[in-house]
Amino acid sequence: MTSSRDIVRVQDLRKSFFDESRGEVKAVDGVTFSCHSGEVFGLLGANGAGKTTTLRVLSTVLRPTGGSASVMGHDVLAQPEAVRRSLGFYSASTALYPRLTGRETLEFFARINRYPAEKVSVRVEALVDRFGIQEYADARVEKLSTGMKQKLSIARTIAHDPPVLVFDEPTVGLDVLNALEMVKVIRELRAEGKTILYSSHIMSEVEKLCDRIGIIHRGRLLALGTLSALREATGQHYLEDIFVQYVTRTEGLEGAGIGPLGELEGPPTAGGRPEEAP
Amino acid sequence: MKEGDHGGGRVRGPGTRSDGGSRPRNDGVLATLFRYEMKMLLRDKRTILIAVVAPLVLLPAYILIMNFVESREQRALEEKVYQYAVTGTLGEWAREVVDAALTLEAEAADTTRPPAIFELLRPEAPEEALRRGELHLVVQGLTPAEWDSIQEAEDSAAPLSDQDPEEEEGVSSPSLPAIRILFRAESDFSREARGRLAERIIEVRAARRDSVYQSAGFPVTMESVAPVEAVSVASLAREAGAFLGIVLTPLLVLLMLSGGSIVAVDAISGEKERGTLETLLTTAASRTDIVNAKLLSVIVVGLAVAVFNVANLLVYLVLGILNLPASLAVDLGPLELLALLLLLVPVAVLVAAALLLLSGVAKSYKEFQVYFFPLFLAFMVPSVAASLPGVGLRSVVVLVPLSGVAVGVKEILMGKMDLPFLALAFLSTGAVAVWLVRLTQRALSNEKLISGADLDAADLAGGPSLFPRHVFRWFLFLWVILFLASLWLGETLGLRGQLVLNLVGIFFGGSWVMIRRYRLDPVAAFNLRVPHPSAWIAVVVGAPSALILGIGLAQLVNTHVFPIPEEILRSFAQGITGTEFPLWQVVLFLCIMPGIFEELAFRGVLLHGLRQRIRSPWLLALAVGGIFGLFHISLFRLVPTAFLGFVFAWSVLLTGSVLPAILWHALNNALSVVPVHLGLLSEDFTPEGWWALPAGLGLALAMWILWRAGPSRTGGSQGRGSPDDGRSDPRGKPRP
Repeated sequence: MTSSRDIVRVQDLRKSFFDESRGEVKAVDGVTFSCHSGEVFGLLGANGAGKTTTLRVLSTVLRPTGGSASVMGHDVLAQPEAVRRSLGFYSASTALYPRLTGRETLEFFARINRYPAEKVSVRVEALVDRFGIQEYADARVEKLSTGMKQKLSIARTIAHDPPVLVFDEPTVGLDVLNALEMVKVIRELRAEGKTILYSSHIMSEVEKLCDRIGIIHRGRLLALGTLSALREATGQHYLEDIFVQYVTRTEGLEGAGIGPLGELEGPPTAGGRPEEAP
Repeated sequence: MKEGDHGGGRVRGPGTRSDGGSRPRNDGVLATLFRYEMKMLLRDKRTILIAVVAPLVLLPAYILIMNFVESREQRALEEKVYQYAVTGTLGEWAREVVDAALTLEAEAADTTRPPAIFELLRPEAPEEALRRGELHLVVQGLTPAEWDSIQEAEDSAAPLSDQDPEEEEGVSSPSLPAIRILFRAESDFSREARGRLAERIIEVRAARRDSVYQSAGFPVTMESVAPVEAVSVASLAREAGAFLGIVLTPLLVLLMLSGGSIVAVDAISGEKERGTLETLLTTAASRTDIVNAKLLSVIVVGLAVAVFNVANLLVYLVLGILNLPASLAVDLGPLELLALLLLLVPVAVLVAAALLLLSGVAKSYKEFQVYFFPLFLAFMVPSVAASLPGVGLRSVVVLVPLSGVAVGVKEILMGKMDLPFLALAFLSTGAVAVWLVRLTQRALSNEKLISGADLDAADLAGGPSLFPRHVFRWFLFLWVILFLASLWLGETLGLRGQLVLNLVGIFFGGSWVMIRRYRLDPVAAFNLRVPHPSAWIAVVVGAPSALILGIGLAQLVNTHVFPIPEEILRSFAQGITGTEFPLWQVVLFLCIMPGIFEELAFRGVLLHGLRQRIRSPWLLALAVGGIFGLFHISLFRLVPTAFLGFVFAWSVLLTGSVLPAILWHALNNALSVVPVHLGLLSEDFTPEGWWALPAGLGLALAMWILWRAGPSRTGGSQGRGSPDDGRSDPRGKPRP
């Protein structure tokens, strides 16, 4: 299932939280997938499905409870800094420092991500040009509009020119135009050869953007494949219907102890992970 | 794909540590983080204003207000006309003395204050009038007999005098008539009147005595008067130093806390709330660098507050820009100043680490505010230690973080530079600061910071897996209880009571609470195992040897590190050995009980908890010994008891059993107490220097036997001390 093309590898990943009232909560419960070089990989799931937890483990903010994950061959536990250096993380909840200017923000993030010091100023100017933020690059972030902040945030994410980009529900809270702008930028980044992990619960975005899609529900990966493979497997055309079909099927089967499904190559197979195959 | 120059493909060498073993330009990242942290801080005008500028304005404002209030009060007191009445059997004589005194007052050469004006009244019942506030003073002329009977009555009814609004001032010598001044202590005017009049009456008396002396042919020189004045001036400066010394540390801690909290709350709680923390945590900067940068910026603010305010004070002191009120007039040399600032460094670090830890634990600004008050109290309470009467640096207070510094600051300001003890105060606060910094680094490197889940598996499961994490806290808690108990109950309980409280209540009770709370197996936690029989032989050989070495060590420390006042040593020796208890009580309270309960607590539960945190058996034994030493709440017993604790800890590590340590401890105490109690040895008995050689050999032999006894029986299951560790004895001497 994995190959040398795999930039991101996630193997039987588990993450539990502990809660005084609920006890152990398995946010991610044995997820396996990998992202190939230069593709956009979509994680599709409802709120609380485990998308953000998976991506946070990948960006080393959280430590996995079990299983493993690596980015560019760096293990998240053994080499967290190397992982973070090859990764740009963007989410709707990540914010900018209000008291820094745009230029300072870009310089700061380039530097702490260990972009070569002598090239930082050139890189900052290139980003300012690319995102067309010259006019307000020296204004404090607190004075910027939502759209301006969004552009700066994306520029911040790629300040150190990482090969892997993680977008965790990036369009949450954005209006239609800004959301479209976001999708456009992600397309451009793919065209530049970045490997992109994209999580969302918005079907249309995932349909438009992603080369392969993983459907995640209650911490488990239900299906994995290209959109056409998923269509073939379910006989549904719209991603929304595909998603609903998988989720309802799992809900029904959960009691029968049937584990998650493996990656779909053409028609659906029952070949899950070997030890859990029925 | 753009690998480019981001360095993502850089091959890492094997064996690099997890979070940044090979760190190219690591300093660059820390520097960048710190630079931006400070940049953002300086752009926050409110922070600068409240944290740094406001306190600077505070001091001159305080001085101006103090000056204003003092001068106004002074003027009010001076402009007052004081009413007084004269009574008593020798009223006529008293009136004559008072007249002479008031003449002196009226003709005083002192130009700094105008003479006070006194008015003589003749009310019906002068004492009643004084009570009602119609008079300021009542002057009584008393015969010697009356004076003596009053003195006796006062001695027998001393507690009652508290309820009496009147204070008395007698001027008398045996078998001479006396003057007694009654006044109301709660009235400023009455006190001032008393002070003025008493001062002049004493002058009158001195003048009359001198004339008597002179007429009798005794020479009366100025020198006999001059020293009195010199002393009073010096004591004024010392008093000012004392006042400032009491106030300075709490004031600075207060300012550091308030200034630092604004920065600290923004540094983590604020970042959390804004969502910038997650951004920061997904960058290549290591957690340690992030925490350190934030820590540095809070420390910088704390130190800036301290330096600015001390410098500020100095400007007024040295340049004399403002007329200082008497309470602030202190002399400070450059050395004193340097020592003062150095002492404040660990305080700033401690405050910074605590604030940052709090900011990390709090999930929002609001939560930070909720937690801030207890933290504030926890810092302010020890920092007011210098205001306790009679607390000197040469006491156990030097070991209490913040309190040691507070007392040190006070002594410096009073002109006393006790360098070894100032260093000790620096170290005691510094050690806690370093510990808290590391705790903060660890806590903030934890993912709980972002995940919102407060607990992990160990927290949820509770029990034994959680105990190693909490064992330090528990013993810190026990130490505080022990310290407070020794302060408050030491006198009332007596030696036996205190021993029972400490040993059974605090040590055993605390241990038992820990065992119950963490569901520990008592046998494992207390290290209750039957050792190899040869261990008992080792104990019999080791006990006298370790005792002699411990005494020798104490002497070395006493002569070379810090001398201990002779009277403390003697009073301790008498407290322990000169007891009037029967022998069986001496053996029970001083030998058997300490042996059992101290060993169960320190070489049992403490060792059990720490051994899962400290891998090296040497460090483990040192930690157990050091903590044991600190629990003796006495500076001069710290080193020998820590040494014994270290040896006992090794005996447990080698045999896996606490039982030899119990016997050893009891035997040790018996050897040091029983011979003296029986009169076989004198209290002052000290071993000769050469005794160290056989004692060292004896201890080495004991350790060797223990090492031989341990693994052969338990099959190495107790797992600490590898054969190499056991091959040499803990004092590093070669095996005989």
